[in-house]
Amino acid sequence: MDHDAELLGALEPRQFSAVQQQKLPRRALGRFTRALLVLLRLYIIVAVPVVVYAFVRALDTPH
Amino acid sequence: MTEHLLTQDFAPELTREDRMRARDRLKVRRSRAAKRRLHLLWLLAGPGVLVMLGENDGPSMVSYATTGATYGIGFFVPFILLTFLMSVVVQEMTVRLGIATHRGHAELIFQRFGPMWGYFAMADLVVGNLLTLVTEFIAVQAGGLYFGVPAWISVAIGAGLVILSQALRRYATWERILMALAVGNLLFIPAALFAHPSGAELARAVATWGPLPGGFGTAFLTLLLANIGATVTPWMIFFQQSAVVDKGLTRADLSQGRIDTALGAALAAVAAIATLVAASPLYAAHADVSQFSSGADFASALRPYLGNAGASLFALGMIEAGMVAAMTISTSSSYALAETMSARHSLNLDFTGGRVFYAASIGSVLIAAAIVLIPGAPLLAMTLTVNVIATLLMAPALLFLLLLANDREIMGDLANGRWANLAGGSIVVAIASIGAFYGVITVFPQLLGQ
Repeated sequence: MDHDAELLGALEPRQFSAVQQQKLPRRALGRFTRALLVLLRLYIIVAVPVVVYAFVRALDTPH
Repeated sequence: MTEHLLTQDFAPELTREDRMRARDRLKVRRSRAAKRRLHLLWLLAGPGVLVMLGENDGPSMVSYATTGATYGIGFFVPFILLTFLMSVVVQEMTVRLGIATHRGHAELIFQRFGPMWGYFAMADLVVGNLLTLVTEFIAVQAGGLYFGVPAWISVAIGAGLVILSQALRRYATWERILMALAVGNLLFIPAALFAHPSGAELARAVATWGPLPGGFGTAFLTLLLANIGATVTPWMIFFQQSAVVDKGLTRADLSQGRIDTALGAALAAVAAIATLVAASPLYAAHADVSQFSSGADFASALRPYLGNAGASLFALGMIEAGMVAAMTISTSSSYALAETMSARHSLNLDFTGGRVFYAASIGSVLIAAAIVLIPGAPLLAMTLTVNVIATLLMAPALLFLLLLANDREIMGDLANGRWANLAGGSIVVAIASIGAFYGVITVFPQLLGQ
């Protein structure tokens, strides 16, 4: 069994689970970044139903 | 890199999770001090190999087999190599993020971008992971059917083994067992050799990016997206970053983390191309694979060309692909959900401390296994569609990754450089463009004269 002191020294301070539980502060998002995030969210909202439509159409189409 | 952002002091107190990780780190420290380079690489390898071979999962192998049976040896051989190169670029960023922040991807998105974007990212991941898990059990069931095992027995055994793997309560043991299982992905290589592939034909395909019979159309684009979705998917980002943190990689381990990722990609690319090659006799025979319902149909159809041994290896490979991926993907869900709920998240946790973590994995496995057993489900169509959805969900996931990898407050000097941004940005644009084009021609097929 390893000694606690040796084990303590094996981890960097930020690797302890207690430190990992601490939250990082929120970052400020610029206008461009926010626009990109919104754009890609809209892309997903439009694209996924299209794939579902293609899936359903493929099932209905006799081979 | 995040010390200056933390406000509270702490008194070091070893939890079970810390103790397990510290033991692993002691081994690494001793190996590094003894300058045993290969041993050090062996100790530090894992997340990269697992994420890459894990992504060679049931739907991916079916996508590669469908590609081989539809297009033969040609354009898609170098294309698969390109997609794995893309995945190395993407996954290397997760290694740096994990090392710089010692935090999982989901918690970083929540903490740095706020809950709204966090929940969007999580919704993408949870839906994508659950759909993908379903297809992993389709692969397990299909492989079992080839050997005459009833579907419900294969799925029950598969789900049981995935849940059992969570009972190890030790990251290092879990990782080594999965790596041993993941070697089974290479079963597709001997299966491909039974197809007697021509080395010259493969070299010509890599050199010329051809031939491409049939040209561009919805089917081509679907397979293009499915092949991209077979190598770069959101769960990989969440999994590798969390695994790097759980394993305890530090700044000193960055080069081994990169080698681990590249090695995993190389092994996975060889297995992927082998799957395409193994299925290529069906292209030569003009077989119609559109009616195939699963990987088992591929194995049965390939028996006249690969023989019993080759077809059995193919079916075994499908079972392995489904099992390893089910274990890694369900763990990815566990990490992300527990991180989102600010619950403890580590494979080093005991059941009491990791209730949320283990419940997420077990719950998703049980739901996915139940869906697979619904009678008459269109399994092949589901499998290909899941990869397409994974590709579409990749664009926003990559944007979050790029934003985090450029966040100098948390990354310090490990932040992305110009080339990483150029490569990452190009991948986002390429994936989003192909996805958009796919959407347009799906709704308006007449644009391609179909």
